[in-house]
Amino acid sequence: MTLFELAKKNVVRNLSRYALYVGTTIFSIVIYFTFATLKHSHEISALAETSKKISGLMSTSTFILMLFVALFIAYSNAFFLRGRKREVGLYSLLGVRKKQIGLLLLFENIVIGAVSLVIGIILGIFGANALLQLLMRLMDSDLNIGFAFSASAFIETFLVFLAIFLFTSFQGYRVIYRFKLIDLFHADKSGEGVPTAKGWVALTGILTIGVAYWLALQDLMTSSLWKTLGLAMPLLIIGLSVIGSALLFHSVLIFALTWLKGKEHWSWKRLNLLTTSQLLYRIRGNAKTLTLISIISATAITAGGAIFSVYYYAEENVASYTPYTYAWKGDAVEVNGATFESNVEQKTIRTEAQYGERELGVIDESTYRHLLQGLGVAEPAPFKQGEVVWVDPFYDERYSENLESVELSGQTVDVSTRLEESPLNVMTFGGSFLVVVDDMFKTMTEPSETYHVALTESFKNQRDQSERLAELGLEAFSSAPDVYAETMAMNGALLFVGTFLGLVFLVATGSVIYFKTMTEAEDDRAKYTILQKIGISDRDVRRTVRQQILVVFLAPFALGILHATVALIAFSNLLSMNFMIPVLVWMGVYTTIYAVYYGITVRRFMTAVR
Amino acid sequence: METLLQVKAIQKTYGKGDATFRALDDVSFTIEHGEFVGIMGPSGAGKSTLLNVLATIDTPTSGEILVEGDDIASMNEEALADFRRDHLGFIFQDYNLLDSLTVRENMLLPLAVSKTPVHETRAKVERLAKRFGLEGILEQYPYQISGGQKQRTAVCRALISDPKLIFADEPTGALDSKSATDLLDTLARLNEAETTIMMVTHDAFAASFCRRVLYIQDGQLKKELIRGNASRDAFYQSILEELAKGGAVDDAI
Repeated sequence: MTLFELAKKNVVRNLSRYALYVGTTIFSIVIYFTFATLKHSHEISALAETSKKISGLMSTSTFILMLFVALFIAYSNAFFLRGRKREVGLYSLLGVRKKQIGLLLLFENIVIGAVSLVIGIILGIFGANALLQLLMRLMDSDLNIGFAFSASAFIETFLVFLAIFLFTSFQGYRVIYRFKLIDLFHADKSGEGVPTAKGWVALTGILTIGVAYWLALQDLMTSSLWKTLGLAMPLLIIGLSVIGSALLFHSVLIFALTWLKGKEHWSWKRLNLLTTSQLLYRIRGNAKTLTLISIISATAITAGGAIFSVYYYAEENVASYTPYTYAWKGDAVEVNGATFESNVEQKTIRTEAQYGERELGVIDESTYRHLLQGLGVAEPAPFKQGEVVWVDPFYDERYSENLESVELSGQTVDVSTRLEESPLNVMTFGGSFLVVVDDMFKTMTEPSETYHVALTESFKNQRDQSERLAELGLEAFSSAPDVYAETMAMNGALLFVGTFLGLVFLVATGSVIYFKTMTEAEDDRAKYTILQKIGISDRDVRRTVRQQILVVFLAPFALGILHATVALIAFSNLLSMNFMIPVLVWMGVYTTIYAVYYGITVRRFMTAVR
Repeated sequence: METLLQVKAIQKTYGKGDATFRALDDVSFTIEHGEFVGIMGPSGAGKSTLLNVLATIDTPTSGEILVEGDDIASMNEEALADFRRDHLGFIFQDYNLLDSLTVRENMLLPLAVSKTPVHETRAKVERLAKRFGLEGILEQYPYQISGGQKQRTAVCRALISDPKLIFADEPTGALDSKSATDLLDTLARLNEAETTIMMVTHDAFAASFCRRVLYIQDGQLKKELIRGNASRDAFYQSILEELAKGGAVDDAI
């Protein structure tokens, strides 16, 4: 039998193990190629001209993805090789030279690489086209895109993976050259002992995370810490979270498990003893992976949650910038399908503000109320005689300046109330303005200027009309459809990239835990045979397996969710937005996919140990 | 008292058609309460198959196995596991201790699964540990103790649920001769204290500790040797003679 026949036989016999590795590689290639195609797509670059940020976003994301894919493949290759050490040892024992074994593995890796590249790119072409359509829809763009194949994306993917495969081949070579025949005959290294946790380390872990959270929840605008630390602050928060997470897995988890094991009333029931012991036994080796997974999950959940929230509130955002579909300076122009139209008389005054003089528009109370009614927004209580009301839709006490008094018709008048409901488009009228009672408005000597606002049923199907109106060259023209299109183009791209990377991270974390658990399953097979022999029922065994895997899945995930929750609370405070619903939806999706991974892992584990 | 174990005409065949291999062929015997029975035979004679079938780890192709009149063939998987846990004890050649559990934890595992109260479990562990000289190492892990200690731990685990019958599968196979003799003495003393033991071995010396020896070859029960009032040495000699007659000297080392 020649070496290659041997190799061929091996591949066929260990197909499931190869399938897992090849599957991972193909998955990575599909993801990368898809992303590269989007990056190189003409349509995207056409869009990118309008918003430069998108192309920057794409390049950064591709780079992150590249690092990630490389790590992911290296990890699964290490797992794959680990499972084959025995086989390599056997060849060695039979007198096959290391050089030949190396050649064998190299040959295998080339075949695997070539096969996955071909399959990956074919799948990637379809994936990229499907995702391109999806992206266009998310960005609310009506560009029609044909079937796309990008040669530069192909070359880029090819080169990146060539490098990765070279690296994994080198990894394989190293395994062979460092392999000593004696390793084959060593029984499992069972002398590891059970880890003990030091109380102060556990406490430090909890404290570190506590401090990180406390720092994260400091108000960016008012906190003196932000002032003194400046940009070092986010780094400090991230650093403390990572260190805290590591300490948590290194000692707090050990502490908790040891404590649980010590509770004999609980631990001496069913296989609880075995569950805790197994977890304790493995924890040292797992702590690093668990920390990594909790950090990756936290990042993915935070980024996804934040992006999804911004997208979710895009329409609301549009409504707050442009409550009326169209507004411009001048007289009425025909607007098709308008449900409400009105002229607005505005006078402009100059006023002293904190940072120098500024202009401020003034309208009268009945116009203000009329415009609010047109939008169907609740009106404030009637104004008192001589009252001056300041309306600022974007007021934030942390950084907005306060307006206490203004000069009207040569008299200084106190601003009595501040309201946030604004019926005026920001781009036409400016953000904040004053409302005065009708009599007062009449006596003002400033010249009155006429504006016009129009409302349509919805601003989403107004593209053409918006363009038509824009071409009329109206002064200070503002259009909700335009604002919406811009927001969607940016947010849609963000959402797409965010979700995409988030899901890739998710799949990667799930797979890493899966690989890890299956490696353990192979080591543990003997243990489960013993359990069966001494009369422990399948039900009890399945229970302990479920629990053990649950802890490994849940611990990093729970910590990741906790990190992300704190980060998102900080974010939502910063932006003064309520993220609750979109974040819960995103976490729900994330959790569901993660749970599916858990289910699959438990099943595969049970088949592996039986 | 009812007969403890009745084996009635069990067969075990592997494969189909022409490739059929008969591992057990019409084997019948009984074991009464308080007996110490050895099963001997050359490699491939069907010893392990017999043990697996009796231990309910494997099922016979045909025939009946009755434990105190209950037919174990009629039990489902869950009931079998419970039966194994509550009524049978196992001692294996390679100890089969769990390396992530301490000696104490290994011993009490069967009780934990049967939901025995903690104080009762603790008392039982202490009693057995004292009896087998394991008190000092209860908190140690299997990799920290000697082979003899491991096997005694395994014996304790087998005894902890007060089984009706203990199966020992080549229990001395991995021990040095001193530890092996100690273990066999322990088993013999256990038997005097009314524990029923069935031991599979191919070692005539180990078998000579039994009260009765069944010899199987080619899946069939060939001979039965009864020690009666003979001394252990005399019984050892007669086992060796039988083995020589049976042409299986190679295995009687």
